[in-house]
Amino acid sequence: MLRQVIVALGVVAVASQAGLVMAANPDTGPGCGLGKLAWADYKNQKNIAPQVMMATTNGTFGSGTFGISSGTSGCTNDGQVMADQKTTMFALLNFENLTQEMAQGKGEHLASLATLMGVPSEQHAAFFALTQERYTALVQDGETASVALVKTLNDAVSKSPVLAQVVSR
Amino acid sequence: MQLLTLLLAACLWAISVQAEEPPSPYLSHLLQRAHDAHLADEREWHLLLHYRVNLFGGYTSEQDDPGFFLSPEGKTDPQAELDATLTQFFSPELVGRSKQPAQCAFVARYAWLHDRLGFDPGQLPPMPCERFERWIEEFHARSITLVFPSAFMNNPASMFGHTLLRIDQEGQTPQTRILAYTINFAADVPKDEGLAYPVRGIFGGYSGYFSTIPYYLKVQEYRDMENRDIWEYRLNFGEPQIRRLLMHAWELGNASFDYFFFKENCSYHLLSLLEYADPSLHLTEQFGFWTIPADTVRLLAAQPSLVTDIAFRPSRVTLIRRKREHLSVSEHELVRRVVRDATAAQSEELRSLPLSRQAFVLDVASDYVRYRGERDEAEAASARVHNRQILTARSLLRIPSEDISIRPFATQPDVGHRTSRASLGGGWRNNDTFEEITVRAAYHDLLDPEPGYTPDAQIEVGSLSLRHYNRAEQTRIERATLLNVVSLSPIDGLFHAPSWKLNLGMQTITHRGCELCSNWSVNGGIGASAETHLLRREVFFAFAEVEGNYSRAYEERHRIGGGASAGFYVDLAERWRLLASAGYLRYALGEQSDDVRWSVGQRYTLAQNWALRLEYNHRDHDNDVLFTVQAFF
Repeated sequence: MLRQVIVALGVVAVASQAGLVMAANPDTGPGCGLGKLAWADYKNQKNIAPQVMMATTNGTFGSGTFGISSGTSGCTNDGQVMADQKTTMFALLNFENLTQEMAQGKGEHLASLATLMGVPSEQHAAFFALTQERYTALVQDGETASVALVKTLNDAVSKSPVLAQVVSR
Repeated sequence: MQLLTLLLAACLWAISVQAEEPPSPYLSHLLQRAHDAHLADEREWHLLLHYRVNLFGGYTSEQDDPGFFLSPEGKTDPQAELDATLTQFFSPELVGRSKQPAQCAFVARYAWLHDRLGFDPGQLPPMPCERFERWIEEFHARSITLVFPSAFMNNPASMFGHTLLRIDQEGQTPQTRILAYTINFAADVPKDEGLAYPVRGIFGGYSGYFSTIPYYLKVQEYRDMENRDIWEYRLNFGEPQIRRLLMHAWELGNASFDYFFFKENCSYHLLSLLEYADPSLHLTEQFGFWTIPADTVRLLAAQPSLVTDIAFRPSRVTLIRRKREHLSVSEHELVRRVVRDATAAQSEELRSLPLSRQAFVLDVASDYVRYRGERDEAEAASARVHNRQILTARSLLRIPSEDISIRPFATQPDVGHRTSRASLGGGWRNNDTFEEITVRAAYHDLLDPEPGYTPDAQIEVGSLSLRHYNRAEQTRIERATLLNVVSLSPIDGLFHAPSWKLNLGMQTITHRGCELCSNWSVNGGIGASAETHLLRREVFFAFAEVEGNYSRAYEERHRIGGGASAGFYVDLAERWRLLASAGYLRYALGEQSDDVRWSVGQRYTLAQNWALRLEYNHRDHDNDVLFTVQAFF
């Protein structure tokens, strides 16, 4: 099960990176709208979360992207995040909280990420320890930081003796 | 050309034939039965369509998107809307903003009418609603929680707090609550509205929509960016109510409501959603002119066995202030050093502490650096780099942070006093005695009982005092307040936010032989405050202020000037607070004069909604003593 999730996530990560390249040019066709909006409109990736927040706060973002029964809009379907985008979107939008909790070895954002990645709750402690240990490798600068985070994390999980056991089970 | 006209005529004829086609016998049968059963008069139908009795005794829906109604008269005619709805259920035509067949766009209406009329699937086949089924499945809904982010003084729309619903998931733990979706109602405000924002907000100039923003985004907004504590009230809704709530929420994707800050706001429309989920609840009718989020929380908490569990989620500032209480003096100094310079995270002094204490010091420092980055946009980038360095050092310690429980500084909102207040009392002014009655529409002042309210924040809106002087034999409007806001932010080693105040209103003064003269004034100030814990808790404040006065008592009828004021309040006992302040203002424009004021007030809380006050006010030539009994309602 976990292996499937990891493979799926890997695909998402790669697909999102492809999306990124496309998003650099605003005219290139439809894609995951949130990613597009975020990447295309804001030069500095690290400013995305606050910008998205602002948009959420004043409602424009909320009623468009997350509007109930509003149809398909980028990463969302009738206001809900598409299944294959959930993990990357969560990592993108919670980057600061996630990286802080990785360094601290625990936290609700980290536990939620583990849940999204399919790590069973009895293995969360091992997952937390792993992210703390790999903190410097996981947290990088630049535009693709959150995508890289998910990808590196997948690699790390699949190579971890403890978590890999869960995978092989 | 002729051919075109002919074609057009043929088309029109075809359309009119279609329109005049008699309804199918089964539809006629359903319409008749709905009429006979007076379904359009039932509360459930009115809840579904958001009908309210209007001034003329008829009905008007609060909903403002024409696509929400299937009849052109739907907004004001429940019967016509019901007939049109039944008719449309036979058609696969896409309707509403969500562009679905009526059966799917309005699933709750369909479910209710099906329940009441028992549609025959042979004659009115149910249509598959895949979008809706996928959507409702995706929630994995298990329970509903009302979320209340407390007041945020720096935005007029959130001064009174906000409410939203969270759809809790099956298998959710306290650690994964943030993954749940919320149901949020918010105004769609264009960017850079500036000053138009409060004005249009008050008069319904914006449209409000329902959305399902993930809770982790809302937590970030309130906890990390606006530093608001969040209260979560789990509601005792079973599966049928949750399904009804979600079905109606789906329909509301087709709706928009003119957004009014004061009444038809976020909290009001959430109540109407809860009412539909459980029609035995009567909630929206409790609100006449305004809906204050905290009042809706109190109302829900007062419903028998509706609220099952209350949880608190501290803002980042609360988190830092509480964690700080666990620091020793030397650890506190280390936090400051790490906050100033990230390399201190590697210092020998820090490393000499036990591992768990090192971790704690770095965690507090990291929280504070993040707080500073959120506060000040100019510092955001450098704060992020700074935090990264602290976190790198933190990750090398290889131990998880210890759990500590964070207690709130404010008590939960449902134990607070109600938001309107009436005061009855009497006293002396100069050589006269008087009786006085005061009514204040909203909301809370610094002397009011504090439980349930954001400490150190005052918002008074719409207050009027009527006074009768016994010797002068005169009854007059003694005071009026349009708006009186005070926001105190005690500063200390880590927090430096300014305090501010704004007051717009009328008082009665004695000036240059004019006794009992009305004086309109506008006053604003900026300053600082600090707190101590000598007795229980004391807050001291000082302001630099400017003021403009308008009264016939002045030469040229006005005066404008500036000055300063300072004061403090102290909780002498749990129910007893004393507030004292003094100020001096000098007016350079208009009538050149000055004004010395001081005041001392005391409040004793009798019960959640009852208090006593004794106040003394000195202003220029006036001395005023007032004793009142106050009731909140």
